[in-house]
Amino acid sequence: MKWTRALLGLPIAASAFALMVSGGAEAAGKIVTVVLSEEPDVIDPCEATRSNVGRIVKQNITETLTFIDPKTAKISPKLAIGWKQMNDLTWRISLRKGVKFHDGADFNAASAKKAIERTLNPKSDCEIRLKMFGNVKMSVKVVDDYTIDISTEKTQPILPTMLGTMTITGPNMQPLKGDRQPVGTGPYKFIKWVPGQEVLTARFDGYWGAQPEAVGARYIFRKESAVRAAMVKAGEADIAPNIALQDATDKKMDFGYFNSETTRLRIDTSRAPLDDIRVRKAMNYAIDRSALIGSIFSEDVVNMTNIVVPSIPGHNPALKVWPYDPAMAKKLLAEAKAAGVKVDTEIVMLGRLGIYPNATEAMEAMHAMLSEVGFNVKLKMVEVSQWVDIFTKPFAEDRGPVLQQGQHDNNNGDPVFSVFFKYACDGPQSTTCDKQVDDGIAKASATAAGPARSKAWQDVFARIHELAVDVQMFHMIGYSRVNPRLNFTPSISTNSEVHIAEVKFN
Amino acid sequence: MGTYLVRRAFHSFISLAGLLVLVFFLARLTGDPTNLYLPLDATLEARAEFTEKHGFNDPIYVQFGRYLVQLSQGDLGDSLMKARPSIDVVLEAFWVTLSLAAVVVPIALIGSVVVGALAAYRPGGAFDRIGTIAALLGASAPDFWVAITGIILFSLTLGWLPTSGYEGNIVYWIMPVTVLLIRPFGLLVQVARGSMLSVFSSAFVKTARAKGVKERSVIFVHALRNAMLPVITVAGDQAAGILNGAVIVETIFGWPGVGKLMIDSIFNRDFAVLQTSILVTAIAIFTVNIAIDVAYAFLDPRIRHN
Amino acid sequence: MTTPTEPAAFIPPPPSRGLRLLSLLWNDKFAFMGAMFVLLIVLFAVFGPMLFGDVATKMNLRARNMEPFTLDKGWLFFLGADALGRSILARIMVAGQNTMAVATSAVVAAMIIGGTFGLLAGFIGGWFGNVVLRLADMIMSFPSLLIAMIVLYMLEPRVENLIIVLGITRMPIYIRTARAEVLEIRERLFVSAARVMGASHWRIVGRHIAPIVLPTLTTIAALDFAFVMLVESALSFLGIGIQPPDITWGLMVSQGKNYLQTAWWLSFFPGLAIMMTALSLNLLSNWVRIALDPVQRWRLEV
Repeated sequence: MKWTRALLGLPIAASAFALMVSGGAEAAGKIVTVVLSEEPDVIDPCEATRSNVGRIVKQNITETLTFIDPKTAKISPKLAIGWKQMNDLTWRISLRKGVKFHDGADFNAASAKKAIERTLNPKSDCEIRLKMFGNVKMSVKVVDDYTIDISTEKTQPILPTMLGTMTITGPNMQPLKGDRQPVGTGPYKFIKWVPGQEVLTARFDGYWGAQPEAVGARYIFRKESAVRAAMVKAGEADIAPNIALQDATDKKMDFGYFNSETTRLRIDTSRAPLDDIRVRKAMNYAIDRSALIGSIFSEDVVNMTNIVVPSIPGHNPALKVWPYDPAMAKKLLAEAKAAGVKVDTEIVMLGRLGIYPNATEAMEAMHAMLSEVGFNVKLKMVEVSQWVDIFTKPFAEDRGPVLQQGQHDNNNGDPVFSVFFKYACDGPQSTTCDKQVDDGIAKASATAAGPARSKAWQDVFARIHELAVDVQMFHMIGYSRVNPRLNFTPSISTNSEVHIAEVKFN
Repeated sequence: MGTYLVRRAFHSFISLAGLLVLVFFLARLTGDPTNLYLPLDATLEARAEFTEKHGFNDPIYVQFGRYLVQLSQGDLGDSLMKARPSIDVVLEAFWVTLSLAAVVVPIALIGSVVVGALAAYRPGGAFDRIGTIAALLGASAPDFWVAITGIILFSLTLGWLPTSGYEGNIVYWIMPVTVLLIRPFGLLVQVARGSMLSVFSSAFVKTARAKGVKERSVIFVHALRNAMLPVITVAGDQAAGILNGAVIVETIFGWPGVGKLMIDSIFNRDFAVLQTSILVTAIAIFTVNIAIDVAYAFLDPRIRHN
Repeated sequence: MTTPTEPAAFIPPPPSRGLRLLSLLWNDKFAFMGAMFVLLIVLFAVFGPMLFGDVATKMNLRARNMEPFTLDKGWLFFLGADALGRSILARIMVAGQNTMAVATSAVVAAMIIGGTFGLLAGFIGGWFGNVVLRLADMIMSFPSLLIAMIVLYMLEPRVENLIIVLGITRMPIYIRTARAEVLEIRERLFVSAARVMGASHWRIVGRHIAPIVLPTLTTIAALDFAFVMLVESALSFLGIGIQPPDITWGLMVSQGKNYLQTAWWLSFFPGLAIMMTALSLNLLSNWVRIALDPVQRWRLEV
């Protein structure tokens, strides 16, 4: 019976240990513990557009030449203090003086050139290159110690905005992706990474800007949103970016904010019956968006009418939200049927598991709504790989009509990062083709930043809206939980960057 | 026994080779990682270039040939996602899981045999009824449900235990070990009980009793020894399950084990990591199976290995 | 059971075998309740989708996560409503069909195929035994999740395919258990006697060995039943099991896990259904074990 005694002893021992642990947490002092949903595979700054890398690295370890304020989409100086377009193909960038990398190297024109070339090295598959500079060929020339010229093959009117994604790495980092010791100019320097457990950073004494309050940061990883939320509540973590709606139950700790993600169902307009505009409109009329808001989606989400969020210049505020009108939907379907459109064809609703919180329930609900007005829809939920296969070109020739669940993130300051990919005839994820849209994109892309460019994009969005090529859904809300011992308000940028330097302690 | 072990090791080596071939081909049936690795917005050229560079568009037998050449040089390949040798990644994770298994399996085995034997001693008695029902409820509770409820109860409400984490301190082990223990324990209690029941009604226990052997030694020496075969078999199965399937506990409690690594590598189509982790866990599982067969012979000398 | 008023000389006619078993079942109240519950589940599985199929998929976002134990919206909502406002009770009844189909087919197939191979491997031994065992080793060390991923990637995540996946992955335990038991029984006196008397291999396996091995296998199968339901649930948790609009208890548990803090009933009731089914089956299998064992049967006859 020794066993029973040992077992009875356990809870007592456990509570004693718990006391020791909670004491330790308080002693952690001014180190900020951030609990993320996913551990990065590599912590290379040239992958900073991946949110799990960006949250650790961006503006903490490495900084960018320009800074895009996610709230206003305005660009401001960071490592670059000025920029000027010299001619159609060349921008001149002046660099900040007196900046040092964590390893002691100087930040100057030569190291800036080296950093850009490292990120754009075609041997490296860096995500920043593939995602932001895939269609851009550019070369960097050192003009003097603190000035560089960036030349591109085609004219790039918003190059300074694009440079807001370019992380500047130290000149001594190994030239190819995969260096496990990221070096930058940021307020925090990388200390160590214990795979599977934690990443540690510490305040960099030689930082060019103001010294932040937090002495360091510790990043840990838990996949389940409920666990991340519990950790902050229990005092084991300070910030949990990106928790699910149903875990954001504590008004004192949980902050909601627009996270720059926009959700929709992409309609494949090349396949009957989805090639008929009446059918596409009927789909939009069939969705009871107000029933989804506050139930499956946060009560603070906003109906989308553009694929970019309202803060992006070029967003068209004049476009109207589709009202919920099942009678109209039925009428349009009947009209289409009378005109010989095969409206009874089975349409697959292809969802992706976990694309956003409650993604499956959202699809189930919309499936019910579309069935209600008479669509023959079939729901299919798949994992990422299968979803991407169908989402991106080349498309299968023998595909049937598909409504595909999508979510798009554009916090990079200009619609060009969204519209070409999603709506141009040649767009890699476009299931639509319209001459007016294509011409509009060409015109807007070539216009210099400013009201004229915004107007050009607004025209494109109006045309896209008119064509009803999406079942429009929402601009999404993200939730982060913050330990009350911090004075830190998460915002739109928390989705991809967590600026430890902004953290103050109460 | 020596030659037996050598022969078993040889057989296991053949199964291992078969397993690796199978995994190589089957894993590639689930598509290549280009789509997952590159951002959605990557151009078609970038995709083509990536596929070309990593050889995903070569015929599968060419890829297999390349893998064999690598293997013959003792190279298990690099992780595509993590840009590190896959064996390093796998071994880091394997020790975490092995340490979990090393704690859970012995507790489950010893505990369940004691409980099962006592339950079988008076079938239908109070201890049997309560023990059986408790064990069964434990064995059939969904583990992620138990884990998350445990966190809510013990960490948030009572504040006794940390929510999660993999650290040296024993408090971090209590919840993961308990959650992992419940199911094997429940299963093994049932198997032990059933097996003891058969043995109690068999002739030689009666003979032992008739000879006046003490009741305690009837249960724990004579009967138990004979009832152990199915128990050990099922325990082996459960150990194998923990070695390559403690995914849920590892995921929820943030333990960087090999189960989580394996499922991530499946989702990411990180083939080198998948192959290497199956290689490592398979060696462990084969070792467990050999140990079980040796235990058979030890428990029941009539079983000869020939 | 005799009363004093009855004439002592009255001898009841020997009851039929079925009746006798029934009265044995009645004598074991736990097993009896188990049997009733299993019967109820079988009824759900057969008639559930027919009767409640529509109610179970009827969405009503206003009743989202409605609390259980009220009759305001009718008895179907006694166990509350899920995240889309659908009746949990109706969904449990309807999901019974898929759940039972998956668990029963997978377990029975694994037991019959695995058990047969195990018997033969133990009895024949030699190279055949070795090949079977090595195959079992391979399946055991092959992560079931990978098999699931492959089957469900190439085929659709449907009930039939899930049965294949789970059936294959559960086989090794029956192979190894059957073989282990045979190894021990083979050496017992009566088998040697049968062999000396010239009984054929098939006869020895079929008549003498299989009946002794079977109880152990059924005990494991009854336990496996719950295990398979849980694995199915775990697959849904990881995103590769059955997907909506199909439903199983496992899927319900895994969808409800997001709401454990705010609406516990979403995953609790389907989880309870899994636990109760497992419990009932095991009580029943324990009873069967005793009822079929001539040495133990007296325990039930009092």
